Amino acid sequence: MKRSKRFEILAKRPVNQDGFVQEWPEVGLIAMNGPNDPKPSIKIEGGRVVELDGKPRAQFDMIDQFIADHAINLELAAEVMQRDSRELAKLIVDVNVPRSEIVKLTTAMTPAKICEVVGYMNVVEMMMALQKMRARKTPDIQCHVTSLTDNPVQIAAEAAEAAIRGFDEMETTVGVVRYAPFNALALLVGSQTGRGGVLTQCALEEATELRLGMRGFTSYAETISVYGTENVFIDGDDTPWSKAFLASAYASRGLKMRFTSGTGSEVQMGYAEGKSMLYLEARCIYITKGAGVQGLQNGSISCIGIPGAVPGGIRAVLAENLITTMLDLEVASGNDQTFSHSDIRRTARTMMQFLPGTDFIFSGYSAVPNYDNMFAGSNFDAEDYDDYLVLQRDLMVDGGLRPVREEDVVKVRNKAARALQAVFRGLDLPPITDEEVEAATYAHGSADMPKRNVVEDLKAAEEMMKRGITGLDIVKALAAGGFEDVAQNVLGMLRQRVSGDYLHTSSIIDATFTVRSAINDPNDYRGPGTGYRLSPERWEEISDIPTALRPADF
Amino acid sequence: MSMQLSEQLVRQVVEEVLAGLGREAPPASPGPSTAVPGMTLTEKGEAVKGTKADEVVIGIGPAFGATQNRTIVDIPHATVLREIIAGIEEEGLTARVIRVRHTSDVAFIAHTAAKLSGSGIGIGIQSRGTTVIHQKDLEPLSNLELFPQAPLLDAATYRAIGRNAARYAKGLSPDPVPTKNDQMARPKYQAKAAVLHIKETQHVTPGAKPVELAVSFS
Amino acid sequence: MDERTIEQVVREVLRSLGPRAQVSPAPAGAGPAPTRGLDPQTDYPLATRRPELVKTPTGKSLADITLEKVKRGEITPQDLRITAETLYMQAQIAEKVGRPQFARNLRRAAELTKVPDERILEIYSALRPYRSTKAELLAIADELEQKYGAKMNAELVREAADVYERRGRLRSA
Repeated sequence: MKRSKRFEILAKRPVNQDGFVQEWPEVGLIAMNGPNDPKPSIKIEGGRVVELDGKPRAQFDMIDQFIADHAINLELAAEVMQRDSRELAKLIVDVNVPRSEIVKLTTAMTPAKICEVVGYMNVVEMMMALQKMRARKTPDIQCHVTSLTDNPVQIAAEAAEAAIRGFDEMETTVGVVRYAPFNALALLVGSQTGRGGVLTQCALEEATELRLGMRGFTSYAETISVYGTENVFIDGDDTPWSKAFLASAYASRGLKMRFTSGTGSEVQMGYAEGKSMLYLEARCIYITKGAGVQGLQNGSISCIGIPGAVPGGIRAVLAENLITTMLDLEVASGNDQTFSHSDIRRTARTMMQFLPGTDFIFSGYSAVPNYDNMFAGSNFDAEDYDDYLVLQRDLMVDGGLRPVREEDVVKVRNKAARALQAVFRGLDLPPITDEEVEAATYAHGSADMPKRNVVEDLKAAEEMMKRGITGLDIVKALAAGGFEDVAQNVLGMLRQRVSGDYLHTSSIIDATFTVRSAINDPNDYRGPGTGYRLSPERWEEISDIPTALRPADF
Repeated sequence: MSMQLSEQLVRQVVEEVLAGLGREAPPASPGPSTAVPGMTLTEKGEAVKGTKADEVVIGIGPAFGATQNRTIVDIPHATVLREIIAGIEEEGLTARVIRVRHTSDVAFIAHTAAKLSGSGIGIGIQSRGTTVIHQKDLEPLSNLELFPQAPLLDAATYRAIGRNAARYAKGLSPDPVPTKNDQMARPKYQAKAAVLHIKETQHVTPGAKPVELAVSFS
Repeated sequence: MDERTIEQVVREVLRSLGPRAQVSPAPAGAGPAPTRGLDPQTDYPLATRRPELVKTPTGKSLADITLEKVKRGEITPQDLRITAETLYMQAQIAEKVGRPQFARNLRRAAELTKVPDERILEIYSALRPYRSTKAELLAIADELEQKYGAKMNAELVREAADVYERRGRLRSA
């Protein structure tokens, strides 16, 4: 066939690099409202659920049982289940009905019911609902800080920069697992150099992650994965009960935590039992609720390529964020993985959370260039900073970031690298050279960093853990190295675990080390003029991008 | 148990003798075999725990070199296995190949291999190409080295993975195989990866024990 | 230094006297007596609104955790842990804002403050699929209940043992 020139051009467009696939409902390759999804039902006898979404108790798998026994508020369940799902959907979107009233209804639904309810909404209605239903009034943003070479000096500098750019939570992970203690240490020191009060975590295998938290290297955890079918849960090497125990273990050490899940993971792991992605994700959200965890990271997360490939998939991703808030949980709403070759498509995907605002619109935004992103790349990265700032300014939306001046960034990166240098010296770890400090100060990514002796670093990281080094030793090393202010901040983070205030739903910690959560900053949205509004100061900050002409200068 | 062991030993001796005669080992008496372009895999009975400290066990997924024959970026399974084995042998160690049938999860495939390995080091490979180097005493979902982005793994990387696994088995602390990172692999390949994985998972047999394989390349 | 040693001795003596000498692991709904009337609107966050209620396991207040004391070696990791009492207060706040499941998690956490780090990691591992026999899980439940007074956690582990048995997720003995 002679090719049309137009089709040749279209074939080269970035969007045609993306993978798309037809629905295959028998294996669960369908976004929502699947033909095999159960019909909503509940039967309660003697205070005990004996039938859930069409399945009698004798046939419950692990997940059914956990949800039935722990996740649903039964007092109102029978009544709410009888109400028309479309009418319930209208209430959720209605600005005149406050969040607190809706939560009473939504926490009494079954997973199939809640999917049916959101199934009546289009994406604009879902955004309306999300704006009202997110738990914390003030929206926020989290970032990834990682390095292709696990370079600790780079990580410290990147974290400091990210802190002054406005990220209140930071997540790292590793290329090489045994680097984890150094990555966590570098993130802690860097973040607290940028701003005291930033929460940090290191995503690792569950037990290792808890161990780092216990030691005071991290202040929260997020990568506690849950899944919507029993087989996948078992492949994930856990059960709802082991995860519930883990949740309490974190709280018993005063550490904030949230679970992680997302549409597509069950299909990705080959055991979706023919159910739609959203229905299985709803089960994950109920497991989180039942385990008594305050919040959830979802929005497909690392499986975004799967809902992204099927019809209506990005609507389902918005729906899962929404269901999380309807169960009165904190939502860290994804946007954290490369999703499309097309700038148009990846921006549109993010608007679903950016416009209504969530507890963490990104979880997270890549604070490093994507080649350094060890979560395999985020939807937005360090090279998109200015685009993001302009989006905030164009739409008068608070996306959580602020414009910064180059000299301030250079200064804070340098200080973080030097602070880490002092800590390495104080803890007798392989030295950080002045050359490395200089490189980290001006670097864009790990390609700009001198190579470290990896074998020596890994050995030292392991020995550091064996020596029993804790957060207190980091504080001492910082103070001894002349970084008293950073030492104060790290100590401030350790002090948080004594009071437990930040265990609560949607907590963040401000620069005065005061916790702001869904309790003292509850979302009171009731339509135009209510809920979160930009303060004049914040609007001024967002408006004042350095590239804007100043008429007064002419 | 002892019957099985001695049978295996006899077979091994026969094979070695035949190899010494410069002939191909016959598809030894029992197990069924699967042939894909460039490679035949023949079952030799239930895989047992090795006793030799100089071996690395390679665990392959239920569909590898059987109902599937190429990775997600069309590298033949024969090439993958040949390169990994070559990498192990380059370090002077021996490779033993098993098929893991009870799971298609790469971490568990690798951990199963590590637990059966005389050195305690195992490699797990899924049909789509995702690979893990594991050690028997680690938690299943932990690892020594993980190569999660199958579309980025080429023949040279598979050889390096074999080499590094052998070095761990020798008690060394090698520099990790340089991790490649292409942030756009997900949008391009994730749906395809899911379809390949679903198709591999359809061959999982719950409770089935791993089987030892004889590998012959053509 | 001396003061802390004395304090530690006293605590150990109290502990050896058994659960009656400790703060009772309060049943759901109740909190330790002095904090029963917490109001989420006025008392949260405790660290800024009611700092006098928050103590470390060694009896220090938040204001005692200073950089100067860290430098002098007067703060140990034990001073940077949350107590069962504080978790019960936070659980009460969670209940009052309508989060009963979250509150139960905090109450289970309160029980676990007495379980050492390593034992927590071991129990978590034992709860993972195919790691334990039913008898082993039940023994852990008994240990949690009898040794640490962790009734809610014991109940959770027993529940797991039953489900794992029914669903074939136990380790074959």
